[in-house]
Amino acid sequence: MDDQQKWVKIQRAFEAPIDAVWKMWTDPDLFKQWYGPMGMSVPTAEMNLVVGGTRKICMEMKTPERTMSMWFIGVYKEINSPSRLIYTESMCDADGTILSPESMGMPAGHPDVTEVIVDLHETNGKTIMTMVHVGVPEGSAGGGGWKQAFEKLAELVSKTA
Amino acid sequence: MNESDQLDAAFAALANPTRRAILARLAQGQATVNALAEPFDMSLPAVSKHIRVLEAAGLITRGKNAQFRPCTLNAKPLESITNWTEQYRHIWDARFDRMGSILKNMKEAKDG
Repeated sequence: MDDQQKWVKIQRAFEAPIDAVWKMWTDPDLFKQWYGPMGMSVPTAEMNLVVGGTRKICMEMKTPERTMSMWFIGVYKEINSPSRLIYTESMCDADGTILSPESMGMPAGHPDVTEVIVDLHETNGKTIMTMVHVGVPEGSAGGGGWKQAFEKLAELVSKTA
Repeated sequence: MNESDQLDAAFAALANPTRRAILARLAQGQATVNALAEPFDMSLPAVSKHIRVLEAAGLITRGKNAQFRPCTLNAKPLESITNWTEQYRHIWDARFDRMGSILKNMKEAKDG
């Protein structure tokens, strides 16, 4: 399903000035506080905040059995403080070598490279944030679905068991 | 459960390697609790507990046969989890909730 829309758009309004919201995205210490999903912490956030600069994030989940780390690397494509930010993101290892999402146990069709676009504007002391996270399909022809996801899961489980 | 609650339950259930291994086994076909417990170095009650979590999350269903009650994979909640956009929408929503509360705390600290 090549024509499947692979993007997420979310709009939020915050009772905060635009500079404060911009810092949430660009100050590593602030970014670490909100970015980790579902019980994951963010021990590393390196941000070379220039166009073409590298951005590297580590997310970590601790279970009684082991600690799972996921690394993401990308570059800044547009930086227009404090209203527009665009960066790319790919899964990588701790050294920054890009990994295919499928080798990490993600479902087939998960894009190799994604792009995050953040638009901010302030009205009456409120900041409206629009975030678009779009998949850049490169050789990810899709057609996978959950069955293949399970095969990957089974593979991953057998490797880590 | 609404869709968001179901996703929450499914994500929580999947955040455990034993439960992922159980699901991976069930992807090959239904199995009894005893058969599922076999590869693990843990007690039967411990494995049963994991199975109850998966059942509560709607990821597996149990047969009616009172003695064996085999477990079967229910793929429905996984369809939305493995859908890239659904997965990310869910993750970003949780992130932005936290961003909102941090911004709120900063404002209160400044105003107060």
